[in-house]
Amino acid sequence: MIVFENIYKSFGSKKVLDGVSFTVQTGEILFILGKSGMGKSVTLKNLVGLLKPESGKVKVDQYTVNELQEDKLSEVRKICGMVFQHPALLDSLTNYQNVAFGLQEWTQDKARQRVLECLKLVHLDESILLKKPPEISYGMQKRVSIARTIAPGPRYLLFDEPTTALDPITTNAINDLILELSRTLKVTSLVVSHDMGCAMKIADRILVLDQGKILALGTVEEIKKHPAPLIQDFLSEALSPPAHLARDNDTSSVV
Amino acid sequence: MTRAVWCEMLKIINEIGGITLFILEVLKTWKCSLSKTFPLILEQISLVGFRSLTTVLFSGFFVGAILVIQFQLMLSQYDATSLLGGLNTSATIREIGPLIISFLLAGKVGAYTAAELGTMRVTEQIDAIRCLGTNPMEYLIVPRFVAIVVCSLLLLVFGLMVGIIGSMLIASILYNINTLQYLQSVPRFTDVWSITGGIFKSFVYGIIVASVCTYKGYNTSGGAKGVGIAVTQSAIYTNLFIVFANSFTSFLLESFQRFFTALTSGGIAL
Repeated sequence: MIVFENIYKSFGSKKVLDGVSFTVQTGEILFILGKSGMGKSVTLKNLVGLLKPESGKVKVDQYTVNELQEDKLSEVRKICGMVFQHPALLDSLTNYQNVAFGLQEWTQDKARQRVLECLKLVHLDESILLKKPPEISYGMQKRVSIARTIAPGPRYLLFDEPTTALDPITTNAINDLILELSRTLKVTSLVVSHDMGCAMKIADRILVLDQGKILALGTVEEIKKHPAPLIQDFLSEALSPPAHLARDNDTSSVV
Repeated sequence: MTRAVWCEMLKIINEIGGITLFILEVLKTWKCSLSKTFPLILEQISLVGFRSLTTVLFSGFFVGAILVIQFQLMLSQYDATSLLGGLNTSATIREIGPLIISFLLAGKVGAYTAAELGTMRVTEQIDAIRCLGTNPMEYLIVPRFVAIVVCSLLLLVFGLMVGIIGSMLIASILYNINTLQYLQSVPRFTDVWSITGGIFKSFVYGIIVASVCTYKGYNTSGGAKGVGIAVTQSAIYTNLFIVFANSFTSFLLESFQRFFTALTSGGIAL
């Protein structure tokens, strides 16, 4: 279980997280939504010790992350795999070496087997293994980065805007993949996103952050009924038809 | 005006403090992971060496040639062209060789390293390495740091050899000074102190290039613009610190040489 207890974090004079408290239940998919700069990614980074809160506690299972020294954080990072906004693959390594990066303590045979397993889970074939990241598409790089994250077998998967800069079809495919992985691997997932549509499709619960505070936290149905204008804006954006369809409808009504 | 100069001075002092702490961190990490980092260091040495060798060889040849022309101009006025080989070799080994090679290393490998690490920082590759349980200091910084220092010494040897060959060739072609004549005066001006001094300076400059460029790259922030700033600052600070270090090491070596000579000749009573 993941617990955030009264977390405060600021950068200079800007308060990013202002007393944030919530719990992520084992096995659920929790979406963290909010506008840019509202502390969504900061929340995830606090969880794996890439950032430390000024006060409060971040707990993952038996660990209090913000009280751990750098060498002890590796224990938390073994159980919390993080997929970054950029694929963040090492360009000098092949895709195989990238996926096997977190398996340095494994034997070569076992690591190879695990890499192939993970590749299958993210629907990529072996032909990309000997290529380097710049030689494959951005969508494929995202999948390789997900494979790299799941390879060591984490219990928690953290996705930081996993669909940024992807076309709608690949976005859908990645969202389906998040749902599929969460169910197949029986992991708890935390997804940071701007995409309410996708959250409504795959989230068990949604948390909305605004001005460093929790604006709403609940199931999809509860969020849909929430009166806050920001949430209603997100909802209307998610439910409105794509721009070109809306334009076509307008034209037909005029004619 | 005074305030601006003062601010600039404070900035430089702040950078020196940051870089010193960074060097200590590198040494601490290296000490704890000698066996792990060794293969990565060898890989980086081959990359850095290969990347810079051609440039160093070309530049070394022409630096030797330029020095011969300049020294010949002055020495011919005093009818002392027989000293050309000695003066030229001594100046190349003591001063010009280490300085030029470190500037080349800063421009070629230093800028590349700062840009590479900076890009890795802003595209979250360094964070990803940390999240996968690897210490980025151990995996990225120590190998690059050690490789740059080792390569600055190796490249010095190659650069000096080519520089001296170039100066001999130009002396022979332009001024009809044959190789034997040229080499005759070398022992008069070039002794163990010259060679030790050259190696020491090259080592110090290597540390400067390695530490400034890895520090700047590793601490990049602010996207593509941040990478640009990191590369520019690494170039500026490397050259600035090399020039500072040049005056300091020259003074230090000269004082040490005087002291040691006086000691061995019995001038100083212990």
